[in-house]
Amino acid sequence: MSRGSGGGYDRHITIFSPEGRLFQVEYAFKAVKASGITSIGVRGKDSVCVVTQKKVPDKLLDQTSVTHLFPITKFLGLLATGMTADARTLVQQARNEAAEFRFRYGYEMPVDVLARWIADKSQVYTQHAYMRPLGVVAMILGIDDENGPRLFKCDPAGHFFGHKATSAGLKEQEAINFLEKKMKNDPAFSYDETVQTAISALQSVLQEDFKPNEIEVGVVRTDSPAFRVLSTEEIDEHLTAISERD
Amino acid sequence: MGDSQYSFSLTTFSPSGKLVQIEHALTAVGSGQTSLGIKAANGVVIATEKKLPSILVDEASVQKIQVLTPNIGVVYSGMGPDSRVLVRKSRKQAEQYHRLYKESIPVTQLVRETAAVMQEFTQSGSGRPMLGWLQTILDFNGNCGVRPFGVSLLVAGFDDNGPQLYQVDPSGSYFSWKASAMGKNVSNAKTFLEKRYTDDMELDDAVHTAILTLKEGYMHLKLLFF
Repeated sequence: MSRGSGGGYDRHITIFSPEGRLFQVEYAFKAVKASGITSIGVRGKDSVCVVTQKKVPDKLLDQTSVTHLFPITKFLGLLATGMTADARTLVQQARNEAAEFRFRYGYEMPVDVLARWIADKSQVYTQHAYMRPLGVVAMILGIDDENGPRLFKCDPAGHFFGHKATSAGLKEQEAINFLEKKMKNDPAFSYDETVQTAISALQSVLQEDFKPNEIEVGVVRTDSPAFRVLSTEEIDEHLTAISERD
Repeated sequence: MGDSQYSFSLTTFSPSGKLVQIEHALTAVGSGQTSLGIKAANGVVIATEKKLPSILVDEASVQKIQVLTPNIGVVYSGMGPDSRVLVRKSRKQAEQYHRLYKESIPVTQLVRETAAVMQEFTQSGSGRPMLGWLQTILDFNGNCGVRPFGVSLLVAGFDDNGPQLYQVDPSGSYFSWKASAMGKNVSNAKTFLEKRYTDDMELDDAVHTAILTLKEGYMHLKLLFF
């Protein structure tokens, strides 16, 4: 009796398929796209900005409770693209881990350490059959004491990389193509340029102009390293600047 | 492994006596980026391709070659996330050895312990078949169904026995090599290494050969498609 691929279980739990693939991990990536949201992150010279769509499916819903942007600590933000329930679990665990880190070691958890921790946890779900991978791609942003503004992206497979700019969700590939062109000559964006690049990338890829309450924007800046979600007024200013520029 | 009478590992023997999950793991390794190692007379070199998915990725944040101890390093081919687990466990084992013996761990010992971890993941776990579905449960010790690691490692080190190079596979078997390659294009790389390798190579020659071998694989691919 041959279990595993012979028994066809390679699609149900994270064991190898005959081609050496992990179908459950690949399906998790599909789940991220199925949420229908696209997110973008851009790192500038002294700031990082993340933008995502805010789709409120029902007018009766309290808009303020619909969010994909979560502060993990005062200085670290997390943008979760994909299944909201999985995102909340991840955020809860990340908040706990960051707080314990601060308590244990006496200094704030750096961005890459948190990203590595999230990625390592995701890897465990790809290897142990009792839990499925989370259907979430997490973008983590913060200002590092030694390396300045940092943007990391962690995926269900357990990969994590630092990025100059990146995207996740439904139109991920189109957005990355757009951003590659913009970042080709290693530009050093100012804070306003960073935010406007991120927002205009999203607008271009989704081919629609946003109203301020249709997107969520989160930033960290070297001169104000606390993670902050922009208000609708500030978003409106940037949207106006973008439309005037074009 | 569980208490239940019907507790199985997810890696089980096929009727022909093969462990197919390990074979699939090796396939995953074979589709990973090429890496190689060469043992010279006075040192060891390990090298790997570092092709990133986009120019937007911050190249400085990615490090495929990792340090296990000040005199032992490792490179992998296959699934990056799995390699991080092994690097972490190996570093801890090296540290525990040092704590106990007040000496740095010899290369062979570290390789052996790392290989033992990889072997564990091919045998442990409690997958329990029930009504046609594979039900995985946690046994008393918190062990559950696990899959083998999707990486092969090349461990390079220098200790009292001189320079050493070991390759560890997902099955947990390991061999000492004079020169070896893993991942994509492995047969071309090994042919190239066989031609170029000499027992009295110096480290600089070895580094040069390593780079040439990687380039060879890259150029060969380009010729195939253009």
